Amino acid sequence: MKKTLPAKVAMYGALVFMSALWLYPVAIALYKSTSVGGWHNYAVVLNHPTFNYWHAVGNSFLMAGTTALVVMLISSLGGYAFSKMAFRGKNVIYNALLACLAVPVAALVTPLFFSIRTIGLRDTYAGVIIPLIAFNVLMMLMIMRNHCDAIPDEIIDAARVDGASTFRIYRSVLMPLSGPALANVGVLSFVYSWNEYLLPTLLLKSPEKFPVTQAISLLQFDRMSQEQISQLYAGLILMTIPSVIVYLFSQRFLQAGIASGAVKG
Amino acid sequence: MHPLGGRFKPYLYILPVATVSGLLIYFSIGFTAYASLTDWDGLRRMDFVGLANYRTLLSDRTFWIALRNTLQFLVVTVVVQACLGLLVAVICKERLRGSNVFKAIFFMPIAMAPAIIATVLKYVMEANYGSLNESLRTLGLLGDGEVIQWLGRDLGIWSIIAINIFQWMGFSMMVYFSGLMSIPDELYEAAMLDGAGWWRRLFSVTIPSLRGTTNVLIILGIVGSLKTFDIVWLTTGGGPGVSTHFLGTFLYQARADREAGYASAIGISILVVAFALSMVQIKLADRK
Repeated sequence: MKKTLPAKVAMYGALVFMSALWLYPVAIALYKSTSVGGWHNYAVVLNHPTFNYWHAVGNSFLMAGTTALVVMLISSLGGYAFSKMAFRGKNVIYNALLACLAVPVAALVTPLFFSIRTIGLRDTYAGVIIPLIAFNVLMMLMIMRNHCDAIPDEIIDAARVDGASTFRIYRSVLMPLSGPALANVGVLSFVYSWNEYLLPTLLLKSPEKFPVTQAISLLQFDRMSQEQISQLYAGLILMTIPSVIVYLFSQRFLQAGIASGAVKG
Repeated sequence: MHPLGGRFKPYLYILPVATVSGLLIYFSIGFTAYASLTDWDGLRRMDFVGLANYRTLLSDRTFWIALRNTLQFLVVTVVVQACLGLLVAVICKERLRGSNVFKAIFFMPIAMAPAIIATVLKYVMEANYGSLNESLRTLGLLGDGEVIQWLGRDLGIWSIIAINIFQWMGFSMMVYFSGLMSIPDELYEAAMLDGAGWWRRLFSVTIPSLRGTTNVLIILGIVGSLKTFDIVWLTTGGGPGVSTHFLGTFLYQARADREAGYASAIGISILVVAFALSMVQIKLADRK
């Protein structure tokens, strides 16, 4: 389409104005992190007595990574069954599961805390990972089912004629065709789990197990000096770096995952 | 051929997702429903009290404030994020030079943790030494010694809304952008042959074609609003007083105060609101 000069100027104007608003907090955080105390603040945060940056990043990686792997596995198994198999109660079970997509974690913190404590997983990684999986897997199940629906039955029938078992078809026919879909599901679950704040705050109490979202509290005090605020900003920037790296490497899958998760609601 | 997997194997394949997710969530809902009828303190005491928690809830001023805040947040964020997202998506579809850079700027916050963004903005918006008031003073928009209480009683809810828009506008943008890609070019060519200008095409072709996408964004906005917790808890904590509580933070506070039975009644009310809003949205979407 032909674009006139004024139209172009208006479009760029809108984008530049909005970008300035969006970049403002980032610019402030970067500026403030060195405004009192200089670059030394980063060293202070990395050698902090109560806040261990590498532990926090490691904890986040452990919990988000495990969640993503389990979600990829069980959502693909479930998506395969719901898409390609016929069994009694299929639609009832599928709809009952998807109805939970509308259930916010915040509404269920009390029973979640109680259940996790009862099975003895309070203040453990597993105790956070289990609800992370539970609340992340449903949208991924929907994505994987829609993905499997788009794979023609003929391919699966051909494999069955060749004598492939149900699991063999999953492993050798379906999964090789599911690379991008699995990547979308994995990246999306990883990012959502990495960003989760409520579940770890509810279930963890030992600071050495805190993921980054929760570890922020270790850098905040009741009355903070300008220097401590600068150090907090430095810590926040350091804690955003892993997210930025993950984003740069997985942008394509993150975008595709969001788009495919929003197709059928 | 007989059905794939026979009669029993399919259940094996759905077992992990059904137990981890379905069982845990449905058990939690059932448990919440039961606990909401008791005076549970979260530890031992758990006596049946009938509907007392719900009666207290309906006469609790904080509940109505939290409900109003949640609904205000829902409506404003969904509308603003949809409008801005559509605007940016439409502009970026024109393939201006550099549009990928702009898309990346708006999409980036999605990968960043709301907890981190909220903490940064809490200090940026702080009234006395925060950078936002400082910046406004530098630009001459705020007089010396004047302060705006961004996280105060009046503006707090709007600041929380702004933080959410900052975080999630890129989501609407990306979803709209992929929706735009699936509108056939012929529709635009036909509209242009009829002499439709840019705005006319936007309102007669683009927006109607994206109705499905918009409905999905509304549903996701409903769920997102009801689970909003971190950006409130980490900025205002529901204060000053109870002025910026959301249903989620109200529940968390009640739980922290050892009123688990009451917190459960709040939990049920959140589920009821989620269900009611989803139904209304589905009905409205069907009618068109």
